[in-house]
Amino acid sequence: MKGEHHTNMIIITNNEKVRERYGEDHKIMFIDGSYRDVLIEARNRVHQGQKLLTHPLMGSVKPNETPFKSVAMSEETGPLSMESLQVIEHSIATYDKFMEMKRPHLGENASESLKDDFREIDLSLLASALG
Amino acid sequence: MKLELGYIHINDIQFGPESKVQGDVLYVNKDEVRAMLLEDETIASVDIEIAKPGDSIRITPVKDVIEPRVKVEGKGGVFPGIISKVETVGSGRTNVLKGAAVVTTGKIVGFQEGIIDMTGPGADYTPFSKLNNLVLVIEPVEGIKQHAHEHATRMAGLKTADYLGKLAKSIEAEEVKTYETYSVTEGLKKMPDLPRVAYVLMLQSQGLLHDTYVYGVDAKQSLSTLICPTELMDGAIVSGNCVSACDKNTTYHHLNNPVIEDLFEKHGKELNFVGVIITNENVYLADKERSSNWAAKLAEFLGVDGVIISQEGFGNPDTDLIMNCKKIEAKGIKTVIITDEYAGQDGASQSLADADVSADAVVTGGNANVVIKLPPMDKVIGHPEVANKIAGGWDGSLKEDGSIEAELQVITGATNELGFNRLSAR
Repeated sequence: MKGEHHTNMIIITNNEKVRERYGEDHKIMFIDGSYRDVLIEARNRVHQGQKLLTHPLMGSVKPNETPFKSVAMSEETGPLSMESLQVIEHSIATYDKFMEMKRPHLGENASESLKDDFREIDLSLLASALG
Repeated sequence: MKLELGYIHINDIQFGPESKVQGDVLYVNKDEVRAMLLEDETIASVDIEIAKPGDSIRITPVKDVIEPRVKVEGKGGVFPGIISKVETVGSGRTNVLKGAAVVTTGKIVGFQEGIIDMTGPGADYTPFSKLNNLVLVIEPVEGIKQHAHEHATRMAGLKTADYLGKLAKSIEAEEVKTYETYSVTEGLKKMPDLPRVAYVLMLQSQGLLHDTYVYGVDAKQSLSTLICPTELMDGAIVSGNCVSACDKNTTYHHLNNPVIEDLFEKHGKELNFVGVIITNENVYLADKERSSNWAAKLAEFLGVDGVIISQEGFGNPDTDLIMNCKKIEAKGIKTVIITDEYAGQDGASQSLADADVSADAVVTGGNANVVIKLPPMDKVIGHPEVANKIAGGWDGSLKEDGSIEAELQVITGATNELGFNRLSAR
């Protein structure tokens, strides 16, 4: 099911596959960095009045497994969205909790083919929202 | 709607020249099953194995577990919209091969999910170690995409469960259990003084390896809706969810939903079990808003006094769970939520990724981060090397002797959020 139609949407991602698939039709902010860097970029934008459109913890793949993350946000700014702020802060806290565990960054040290699977899952989760 | 479940108890499974149920033994003609599954051109090979309770066997990576059932009387067939036509199920009589299951395994992506140990400490954490399992190790043709591979594995499991179920079609079950729900008005007349309770069943619905099907419909495409609890017993809900082994709902869980079972136990005595509201767990926050609005609206529409809400999966479904809880409570309806926890290996961290004051009645299925040790097994069915690439495992999880040190979340069904397990916390 598609969400509300947003003409002014921007996708924050560190996933090349998302950039390839949606780069022509959507604005992309490509982050040459980590999953956490994507969350922090999203949080900064929430502080500036943009809204989250997709949940930053989409999917059940744990934050210490997949190195890839994509978040869709409204591009237009408005008053601070408390819902978005809560969701992004909870997401960052959850991410950090997993990093404190025994084996952080499982996916970052993974083989290229495994990383590609993580990219594909991230793309598929986003595609389930964007179509 | 009234459904009788006829239990045919299976205490042993063996390969044999003819597939049949004789007494409490399920005999399986391996070649016949293999030939049936190889009709799917996306499957290159199928290895079929048996795993019984107490065997020194580890099955991994598990994709789904399915209980064989067959419609004996009444409309439709099992797994409607997928194996059978879309006829509404949930009435008449259905025979169940109680104690038997089909387990599917396959390396759909490089990182993996799901261990079932048939003996040892790991066996205590999964209900599936107590079953006589027919395990399908499915290898797809070269170059197949993940979506097609997942579909082939899912269909192979359902086809095999349907095939085994049909062996029990003409058997007269010795034990029969009856489940009956009434229309809203009938229920009010029959049980005017009992509290009215509904069940809000949240279904994982986020994309590749994260999907659930209702009468064949991808749950992410559906608005929240009503379903009769007996429909689930005929396979109206099928799992395509392969991620987060400990707290995903397999098809077996949907067929044997313990919340439904327990509500029926009290139905007509302590409460009036009005029905089930199914709702999804989508990626879009607007979808989450819409679906939880609808779940709350349906609960209000049914005029219930209380609901039980169960979640599926990790992370963002916590947001759906809290939205459902908050909005239903705001209608003046009491809620109890069922979840599990990712509270860190020491159990000290915040358990959920969302929270609200109205979520003040919570049942937990346990902490998925707890570290456990699984001793080596004599035999591994599936792909043992994946233990290092499994959710809840880490580099070095798989020791040289074949033992595994990992988090509880590696075990299929360990912290199930329907309560189909023995863990909790007080």
